[in-house]
Amino acid sequence: MEARKALRISHVGLRGVVGAGLTASHVLEFASAFGTFLEPGRPVLLGRDPRASGVMIQEGVAAALMACGHDVIGLGIVSTPVIQHAIRRLEAAGGVSIGASHNAAEWNALKFFGAQGAYLSTAEASELLDIYHLKKFRFVEWDRVGRFQRRDDAVDAYLDELARVFDLAALRRFKVVVDCTNGTSSLILRRMNERFGLDLLLINAQIEGVAFAHEPSTNQRTVALQLAPLVRPVGADAGFLFDVDSDRVAMATEQGTAISEEMVLPVLADYLLERGPGKLVITNLSTTALLEEVAAWHGGRVVRVPVGRQAAADALAGFRPEQIAVAGEGTGAVMMPQFRFVYDGIAAMLAILSMMRERGRKLSEILARYPRYSMLKGAVPLVSNRVPEMLMELRKRNADGAANTLDGLRVDWPGRWFHVRVSQTEPIVRVIAEQRGDPPERLFEALLDFVRAYA
Amino acid sequence: MPRREHLLKIGVSGIRGVVGEFLTPVLVGSFAQAFGTYVGAGRVVLGRDTRLSGEMLQHAAACGLLAAGCEVMDVGVLPTPTIQVYIGSTRARGGLAVTASHNPPEYNALKMFNARGLFFNQYERAELLDLYHQSEFRQAANQDMRQLLADYQTPPRLHIERILAHVDAERIRARRFRVALDAVNGAGSRLSCRFLEETLGCQLHALFVDPGRGFPRPPEPRPEALAELVELVRREGCQIGFAQDPDGDRLGVVEETGRVLDGDEVLGLAVEAVLERAPGDVVVNLTTSALIEDLARRRGRQVYRTPVGEANVVETLLAVGAAVGGEGSNGGIIFPGVHACRDSYVGMALLLESMARSGEPISALAARLPRYVRRYGRAPYEHGRLGSLMQELEEAFPGAQTDRSDGLKLTLPEGWIHLRASNTEPVLRLAAEAHSEEELGKLWDSLTRRLGATASAAREE
Repeated sequence: MEARKALRISHVGLRGVVGAGLTASHVLEFASAFGTFLEPGRPVLLGRDPRASGVMIQEGVAAALMACGHDVIGLGIVSTPVIQHAIRRLEAAGGVSIGASHNAAEWNALKFFGAQGAYLSTAEASELLDIYHLKKFRFVEWDRVGRFQRRDDAVDAYLDELARVFDLAALRRFKVVVDCTNGTSSLILRRMNERFGLDLLLINAQIEGVAFAHEPSTNQRTVALQLAPLVRPVGADAGFLFDVDSDRVAMATEQGTAISEEMVLPVLADYLLERGPGKLVITNLSTTALLEEVAAWHGGRVVRVPVGRQAAADALAGFRPEQIAVAGEGTGAVMMPQFRFVYDGIAAMLAILSMMRERGRKLSEILARYPRYSMLKGAVPLVSNRVPEMLMELRKRNADGAANTLDGLRVDWPGRWFHVRVSQTEPIVRVIAEQRGDPPERLFEALLDFVRAYA
Repeated sequence: MPRREHLLKIGVSGIRGVVGEFLTPVLVGSFAQAFGTYVGAGRVVLGRDTRLSGEMLQHAAACGLLAAGCEVMDVGVLPTPTIQVYIGSTRARGGLAVTASHNPPEYNALKMFNARGLFFNQYERAELLDLYHQSEFRQAANQDMRQLLADYQTPPRLHIERILAHVDAERIRARRFRVALDAVNGAGSRLSCRFLEETLGCQLHALFVDPGRGFPRPPEPRPEALAELVELVRREGCQIGFAQDPDGDRLGVVEETGRVLDGDEVLGLAVEAVLERAPGDVVVNLTTSALIEDLARRRGRQVYRTPVGEANVVETLLAVGAAVGGEGSNGGIIFPGVHACRDSYVGMALLLESMARSGEPISALAARLPRYVRRYGRAPYEHGRLGSLMQELEEAFPGAQTDRSDGLKLTLPEGWIHLRASNTEPVLRLAAEAHSEEELGKLWDSLTRRLGATASAAREE
């Protein structure tokens, strides 16, 4: 799959490079399928991130939903969590979030939500895909076509909900630098400063449709680019970086150290398990083993599922909300039960600040408590038909470890593990190895060599 | 075998159909993207009439245009001529109006305009259709995406200014005419009230001027659809009544007596008003009354005939530099001084000006028009039948002057008959005109008799 032509239509929606891969026809047809899939009667919400192509997609999605008889409420440029909150608050039938999150500007994507702002289950997503492929859409008669309405109050209502969960007034004591990556977080956080008197210093806060100030991913490298060097000079207590649609977050300490995105989930697991001992942490097979250690401190347990939002959503459905402390990925995407399990970078930031306040600790001090783990990540081009054979052989060669084959192959030894799996978004095999203490360099190199032999 | 339902038409006139199963946002989005590809990556003006499906289809058209890399200027709900004037006076590459004009409310369509705000000519339309079928649209990447902008104020202002440059508004205002209006809750609802009341100083009695309400009567301003307007004219003692179609390009007129003028009379009055002041040639379609020739002849001017359809009339009108034109068969007045498009606002202004200048009631002006009797009808379309019908008719009238540029028109000393396939619906359209009812009856019989099996289905309109 050539990157310029990239398009993927799957259980988690559509994602592609606009024009070359993702076109207006895809948008109109897929949104028609979603309009056919949703029960009529209640409105459908629509929001987007600031990418220039978002307007085109928004217009197409609105038309298709209206043609299926749904009234559409346009929220404009908002984050994905704001859309999910508004779906629940307005008792909408569902919603669509237009935005490619951490992908580069030329990408865009559509994510679909059902009632209550929930991610579609695999069964629901399969039905949606079947409707899309069959292309028999349920367009209503001319006099039952839906109407379009704009609403600008979604961000304020979302902030109200954050204020119910977090003591925002108590967080005024912190000075925080935030890198908004020219995305939706800037609109929300500016308003949060206005309404709650927080001291969030926003950088890259200009909404941008074409050229982001830097690559919009939430990893240690992007934190180190502009955010981390700024924290100490301005005397801030912490730095946070959001991706374009604010569902992921990364951080820097008050000393200006860029922290690995892998640390967001363990920190929040620590905080939330402390308040709810014995609960579960749901995460994927590629996420740090530090989680098991942190969970053990609080009598909690880690449930590991295949990589991807879909697997996480399905896993969440298998437990009662009160059983779960937190769920998330090593990418900085975390969902908390207080927010009905919506990936929400801003809520994650507020939780970390609350933890700093409650413990009376600096961010660097909190992080210093955790034992050091070192992770190495790599990717090898894929030859699809040799993958099963490769995984089988890899398992044989590592028979002394504990194998998990839910998603590719993960093998665990005490203090050390690796995970080899096929990416859901790109035609590559991902190789990840982690070790307590120093990086597992020999293991990692051997794995890469082994996988390359099948490429 | 039951007849196939044929409620979608994609052809050289663009895309039109019944919303729901037939005309979908997917089709309209694709067609708009083809249009955007054809006119190029620049500004495209986008507006609509008040059909319930219009808002939805406007979003679909915006999607297709943006995907082709066009900048979209949303002008909202406006009459089609207002949109056309605006396109022509801005630097737009073209424009789209989401309207099915006079079709019933379940229909919708796209009207397509070039950079001058004119209908595409037949060659451009064929190219666009090829592009649509080839599906090789311009696919703008993120960095090539342009904005979706809005301008709701400028287009109405421009349109009114243009008209005021050509009529003596002072003279009209001085008369404080009592005017009735029926805007069919269409795109003209707001602008027509403003135009008649504020611009032309009339005492206005308006009905059906709520653009959110749906059409309260058949959308075409034909005599049988205007009972409420006639009643209003009589009740309020109005000097004239105006009726529009949903997108404000066609005009119906009620005399102060309560009689509804037919489209040819309305066009005749407008032609007379224009030729009085600015002599020139006239262009009308084949189905328009011969009274237009009589009027032009009085002033030593020529009449050009074209196939039915606004685009055809406009194409010829511009090519020969005519002063005025239109389609009497459907109440369309085209005055290129303002803009080369059917424009009910120009029509209203011209008629009010004629009344103001002459000091005579509209009934007296109409009474001076050359007298003919006319009849229109339609019959279900049967594939393969039109050709043989045309041959039979031609043989039946060996002395007639024939024109085969749009179906068949036969012109005889006592009158004419015209048989053609509709561009927009799967029907045959029939028309005849003569000096007397008796002659008309004979012509009509000779036409409908030859429809054979379908004769019983041929109904008068």
